[in-house]
Amino acid sequence: MNCCRNSEHCSAYMDQSKRRRGRREGDGRKSYRPSLRKERSKRLSLCLVGMLPVLVVHGGAGQIPKERVEMASAGVRAAARAGYAVLQGGRSSMDAVVEAVTNLENNPSFNAGYGSVLNVKGEVEMDAIVMDGRTLASGAVSAVRNIANPIQLARLVMEQTSHLCLTAGGAGQFARAMGMPEVPGDSLITEYARMRWKKNLAPNANPVESQMGKMGTVGAVAVDEDGNIACATSTGGMLNKMEGRVGDTACIGCGGYADNRAGAVSPTGHGEAIMKVTLARLILFHMAQGMSPEEASDLGLATMKERVEGLGGVVTVDPQGRWAARFTSTQMAWAAAQGGTLHFGVFSGEDVTQDIGDPS
Amino acid sequence: MKAVLVVHGGAWAIPDELAEASVKGVKAAASEGYRVLGTGGSALDAVEKAVRAMEDNPVFDAGHGAVLNADGEVELDAIIMDGQTLGSGAVSCVQNIANPVSLARAVMEKTDHVMLTSRGANLFAERIGFKTAPTETLVTAYERREWEKAKEYGAGVKELFHSQLCHDTVGAVAVDSCGNVACATSTGGIRNKMVGRVGDSPVIGAGGYADNRSGAVSCTGHGESILKVTLARLIIFHIEQGKEVEDAVALSLRYMDERVHSGGGAIAVSPSGQWAATFTTERMAWAAAEQGTLWYGLNPQERVQDKPVQ
Repeated sequence: MNCCRNSEHCSAYMDQSKRRRGRREGDGRKSYRPSLRKERSKRLSLCLVGMLPVLVVHGGAGQIPKERVEMASAGVRAAARAGYAVLQGGRSSMDAVVEAVTNLENNPSFNAGYGSVLNVKGEVEMDAIVMDGRTLASGAVSAVRNIANPIQLARLVMEQTSHLCLTAGGAGQFARAMGMPEVPGDSLITEYARMRWKKNLAPNANPVESQMGKMGTVGAVAVDEDGNIACATSTGGMLNKMEGRVGDTACIGCGGYADNRAGAVSPTGHGEAIMKVTLARLILFHMAQGMSPEEASDLGLATMKERVEGLGGVVTVDPQGRWAARFTSTQMAWAAAQGGTLHFGVFSGEDVTQDIGDPS
Repeated sequence: MKAVLVVHGGAWAIPDELAEASVKGVKAAASEGYRVLGTGGSALDAVEKAVRAMEDNPVFDAGHGAVLNADGEVELDAIIMDGQTLGSGAVSCVQNIANPVSLARAVMEKTDHVMLTSRGANLFAERIGFKTAPTETLVTAYERREWEKAKEYGAGVKELFHSQLCHDTVGAVAVDSCGNVACATSTGGIRNKMVGRVGDSPVIGAGGYADNRSGAVSCTGHGESILKVTLARLIIFHIEQGKEVEDAVALSLRYMDERVHSGGGAIAVSPSGQWAATFTTERMAWAAAEQGTLWYGLNPQERVQDKPVQ
């Protein structure tokens, strides 16, 4: 079993697994005596305690221009620290992922909340989802306007209504009923977003390709101390999308899924492709079959590429706290916090570590 | 290749006064859809035809006959999916469209997107010349009466009895003579739902899913519960693992009951022509056509063979 990255604190498990291997080589048969099983599960639970809590965030898969790479990386690191602090305070994985994603929505460098891409009419319409792995409860909003934090509205849908998804005008009505402040649409628009929108109005522009370029959906997955799992994803959607276009983010099983029994996934990338393969759900099916978060994520992304020629990325976590940040696009800004360490990267194969307390 | 078409008219405690019309409705829809397959038409054409027939039939909660939301308005959801390409089209909370399944198909075939919602969906319909239907033509007197009653009692009590709620979403799945599969689902949602509420029907993987490699599924029941377990995709997953279609559906419905304590129903078909129509609610009106024979049912374990399909 490819356990945690700190196998030193689990040396007892490593010894036991060596002994098991030796026995297998001896008589060629795998045998788990009941006493060994109990010991193994004791080791596992030690592992569990060592592995949790954990939080992984992403800031979008694509081809981030050089000048924006540092902004994106700094942004996901800040969000990961904010979310992890929530977990360290003993609060829930749901609180943590909402905190992390709120942070990213407020950061104009990302395609969510403030900084969202514009639809073809030059307006902001946002999608968001949260899911609670303990109960499978979920809340989502699609094509919502004039609010700064769709992820919080999605959470309110989950907690304050008997529904899972509210759209457009109805979502706005609900936001007002909840006392969520209405913000002018313009206040969510950055110069950068406006510039990209204008560029993509040109007749020979290719918004899909462009989409896989500069900015991304944001998301987070987490497992808290109690082993409860949650995910959250938020986006302004696709560059120059049709009015009312809903992508994967608001669709449970596509833009996010969390289940205490299997894990959680938050994807980013070409929304329509993610929907066609129900990417989040697909990855968790593989994990339920025994694959690691990394294997399952890679297989899910490969399937998406093979079946519908879509590129993207995911952050994934399992109930034991193993995690992965994988992508088939050129880059994905991501950061993971676990055991006092921050891991982060942007380019393929990159995995930089630093102490979580390190302010940079 | 064996061509098969299965339709459902909703899984819920269908009252006796609606039973006969519901069964008649699904039989008629299945016959219409099967005729398309019989003349060499595609699974996609067949499911659209079958669902349109049920949208046009005021006894079902889809298109004509749709239930009303909290504001007394009609908001419609629909999805269609092509198992050959994994192409899909969906609309949520679209208003004044008599055949949302056809609008969903237009989203799939005429845009780069998979789903349009609300005003955006309506603008698209207008742009491509879709006729609008005044609300009064979509709402039945029966529904107005039931809606007034529901407003009186409030939604809270109803939630306890999911299957008592009117859940006659409609759907169809088919496999054509080329072995291509498709699904379609359409609904007006649940009575007195919040404005803008989106259920499972238009959400890919929940209300429907189709993949030539494993099969096609259309679901019905309590939308929120179906969403939580992504029921259609779950059924497909079990088929991918080698389960028989009927077992895949039964297993998935049992899982939904176990995890989120809800009943529902689903129809499914595999590329080889295996099919199932299973439900855990009190009733589900369904019909299936294969090899010139029509089957139908309403109550649990019921499977009646009807006269040959034209």
